[in-house]
Amino acid sequence: MLFYILRRVVSAISVVIVTVVTSFLLFFVAPTDPAGVICGPKCTPDRLADITRSLDLDQPASEQILLYFKGIAVGRDYSTGGVTRHCAAPCLGYSYVLGVPVTQLLANAVPVTLSIVVGGATIYLLFGVLIGTLAARVRGTTLDKAAVGTSLVIGSVPYFVVALIIALYATFLPKSQYVPFFDNPIAWAGGLLSAWLCLGLTNSASYTRYSRASMIEALGQDFTRTARSKGISERRVVYRHGLRAAMTPVITIFGVDVAYQLVNTIFTERIFQLPGLGMRLLNAFNQYDLPVLMGGVVVGATVLVLMNLAVDIFYTVLDPRVRLG
Amino acid sequence: MEPLIEEAALENKGASLDAMTAPTGEAKKVKTQHRSPTQIALARLRKDRVAMLCLGIFAFFVLIAVFAPLLAKLEGQDTTTLHQDLLDDYGFPTISATSEHWFGIEPRLGRDLFARFVYGARPSLIVAVTVTVITAFVGVVMGLLAGFMGGWIDRVISWVIDFVLSLPYLLFAIAVPAVILTLFVEDATTADTSEVTRARFFSLILVLSFFGWASLARLIRGEVLSLREREFIAAAKVLGVPTRNVLFKELLPNLVAPIIISTSLALPSYIVAEAGLTFLGVGLVEPTPSWGLTISNATTYYRADPLYLWLPVLAISILVLALSLLGDSIRDAFDPRTRR
Repeated sequence: MLFYILRRVVSAISVVIVTVVTSFLLFFVAPTDPAGVICGPKCTPDRLADITRSLDLDQPASEQILLYFKGIAVGRDYSTGGVTRHCAAPCLGYSYVLGVPVTQLLANAVPVTLSIVVGGATIYLLFGVLIGTLAARVRGTTLDKAAVGTSLVIGSVPYFVVALIIALYATFLPKSQYVPFFDNPIAWAGGLLSAWLCLGLTNSASYTRYSRASMIEALGQDFTRTARSKGISERRVVYRHGLRAAMTPVITIFGVDVAYQLVNTIFTERIFQLPGLGMRLLNAFNQYDLPVLMGGVVVGATVLVLMNLAVDIFYTVLDPRVRLG
Repeated sequence: MEPLIEEAALENKGASLDAMTAPTGEAKKVKTQHRSPTQIALARLRKDRVAMLCLGIFAFFVLIAVFAPLLAKLEGQDTTTLHQDLLDDYGFPTISATSEHWFGIEPRLGRDLFARFVYGARPSLIVAVTVTVITAFVGVVMGLLAGFMGGWIDRVISWVIDFVLSLPYLLFAIAVPAVILTLFVEDATTADTSEVTRARFFSLILVLSFFGWASLARLIRGEVLSLREREFIAAAKVLGVPTRNVLFKELLPNLVAPIIISTSLALPSYIVAEAGLTFLGVGLVEPTPSWGLTISNATTYYRADPLYLWLPVLAISILVLALSLLGDSIRDAFDPRTRR
């Protein structure tokens, strides 16, 4: 077990390191003139020299990458307009367009993305499992077919289209905005409600299908028949015995999905105008802000790898039947 | 389990299934028909009404895309002419759908909506089909190599597959076009429109292809791993068939089903990806007519001009829905175990 975890951790770290190196090559080595791109249209020679020196763009590529890793480990200094700014330890670079360290920019954006995903995930897990379980109980009836058909249709229509229509026409919901949770929890929930409902309802379609299939299988098992023959009430058979067994595969998919959504809420953020990680990257894209793009990709990849690692380890703990090969 | 030769097909040939009623004496020779699994699946698919309807819808959109210039000419409009005379002082169109402008005109710029709609079908389909072909090719070749060769080749390819699948694709899709533009042109911030348009088109195909092949490669690798221990492969090897022929003549025909299933399910997802990225502003750019762009522009005018928003929204939803259902039907036809 310990060996398995260790091996997974090493492979996760290797993926993150390779991601950093490839994205560095992509953003700072591949372009013919990265300093000019970062400097932007209103570029002065002084500023260009600042950027070139601070990012060490005049050094060989291997040296630059080492300096980037050093920045992540111990921080590094950037000079802008004659002033030297220190960028503290996990330093992912310095945005010359906005004049702030990338780490700080992304750190401000992460809580927004996290809030959207956590709220949305709660809704689709509860809602999807509930409808799926109900559909499994009335399997074969018109109600069941309607539930499965609706979920197929919702699952097939592009997400951004559904989200856009909800955002445009569901004006009865509170205005979409982000208020930090610790400032005002009620305004936080109110401002995020429309994004949560949108993310939650569209994703609950697939969870309806997962949990329906899983539940049908669980209700066909011997232990369910045993429970029924003992005279346990149907409700208890379904919700105590069936649901527990049916949830293991659903929870695994849920973990992977949450990880995926943490780096893919861009559509939700853009449509509901919430300043999360995706919006930050979109803005950086429009301003050719390479350090921010690089930082965003690195953070996204790290989050994804760590979440997948956590799901794998959690799964082996949860289900003792999993053999570690 | 279904009969391999379907009864209806036999009956059409004039043979009776029932041995008792079959004409004895001058026994008519039953013409047995050799049909490959692919032909059986296609026959099953032809009987699936939903699949045929979805195929019809897809064909309809393909025809629109192919004949876009003709349709626009029929209407007598093009995608770029600005009809400013038909806009009021606030930029809202003074006309709705007329015989001259079948779907009306755009607010603010006054370009013809019908022409932009029919031309807008093109980039979606071109990007999606190109990416599907590229990913299918790369995925199959990589999967075959990894599964069949084993050893260090397998380890390297498997690691690359895991690596690609663990990257945040959407974040890269946003970040990469900015860099690609700097490769194409000297100064990205002052590049002219045609250069940006071309760079964006290629970067879209590049990004989607780069992230698309890995899942198919993993699937094919798994299939090959189980197939390569079978007798017919061993026989081919013993007979001294060159590796290339074993791969493409012996293994590949057995992989037709998974390849067709996964490509048919991938096609709609690339249409969504193209439209979605274009909607975000990181895909195709003006003046290319694209449904994603129209949707993005129309969000500010959705109350004044609902047709402007709803046409591309409905078109893309119907197209993707039809292709997804068709993909499901194809999967069911090739793999009867998953039948609904």
